[in-house]
Amino acid sequence: MRGLVLAVLIAGPVTAQDAPTKAQGLAAWDDIYAVTSHPRCTNCHVGAGGIPMWNGLTYGADAVHGMRVQAGENRVGAETMPCRTCHIGVASANAIPHAPPMIDDAWRLPPPELAWLDKSSEDICEQLRDPETNDGFTMDELATHLETSAFVAWGFDPGAGRSVPPIGLDEMVVALNLWAAAGTPCASDP
Amino acid sequence: MKLTVNGKTHEVDVEDDMPLLWVLRDELGITGPKYGCGIAQCGACTVHEDGVAVRSCQLAAGDVVGEITTIEGLGTPNTLHAVQEAWIDLQVAQCGYCQAGQIMQAASFLDLNSEPTDDQIDAAMSGNLCRCGSYPRIREAVKSAATKLRRV
Repeated sequence: MRGLVLAVLIAGPVTAQDAPTKAQGLAAWDDIYAVTSHPRCTNCHVGAGGIPMWNGLTYGADAVHGMRVQAGENRVGAETMPCRTCHIGVASANAIPHAPPMIDDAWRLPPPELAWLDKSSEDICEQLRDPETNDGFTMDELATHLETSAFVAWGFDPGAGRSVPPIGLDEMVVALNLWAAAGTPCASDP
Repeated sequence: MKLTVNGKTHEVDVEDDMPLLWVLRDELGITGPKYGCGIAQCGACTVHEDGVAVRSCQLAAGDVVGEITTIEGLGTPNTLHAVQEAWIDLQVAQCGYCQAGQIMQAASFLDLNSEPTDDQIDAAMSGNLCRCGSYPRIREAVKSAATKLRRV
């Protein structure tokens, strides 16, 4: 699939005349899912329980966030310990291992309907293509979100030895645009 | 740069990236906030920025945007904060090194959540470590302070 994405990158943007096939769209989705299922994303894309995860470094796989953190329904920890108590809302090189990552935005969890942790590829595919369950994004808006969100940018360049998704942010945007141009197909489609 | 700490404005000549904790302790002589780990893993350095608990080892001096309150500015010996009163009533401290951070965390928490559940108290205070293991007394003191604050 990475070869396909690179070919599209070289060939230029997909146009209406050469809309990708469903098979190409599904292949692009596989790239997207490789990102959305990566711990750098699933650590915070958690369900209604609002308990984020840690992963890698010395924590091992799928460890619950230390300090008994509960982001709660408000997703910012307002009723217990606010995320911002440690995750200061300023741009940072995030170069110190085990120190809380910081970005130029208020640290928070995504809405619970955007939970990706322990979700299947089909589940996330159907969730992301539907504005009712993807926080109201059109595909164009989702691409813009990828390109402009400080959270997303940090996820692809988290610093301090943290693992990164298997493709880069540029490739992710290409894959999303390709998937959208193919009509947002999911493997669960008839 | 100017920093307002405990109601008093200070002019400090420091690098923008100096942690607030260093400024407080080494530049201003405000030594209530303690250094423990330097990476927000222990809570000993907790102060308030506009009333919200923040780890002062993580907040760079140049990024301070609000008024800072340390344990020295939370109450006075004659008018203690409810959390400080509870700390004394229940004799929470053992060695005492972590207590400034614990009290600042608890005071901010109870300001945001005046009717916490036991589970929320545990969650709010779990980022503040106590190597003496005074956690049962910390939990009781926070519950006691919450009850007292609700009566105010």
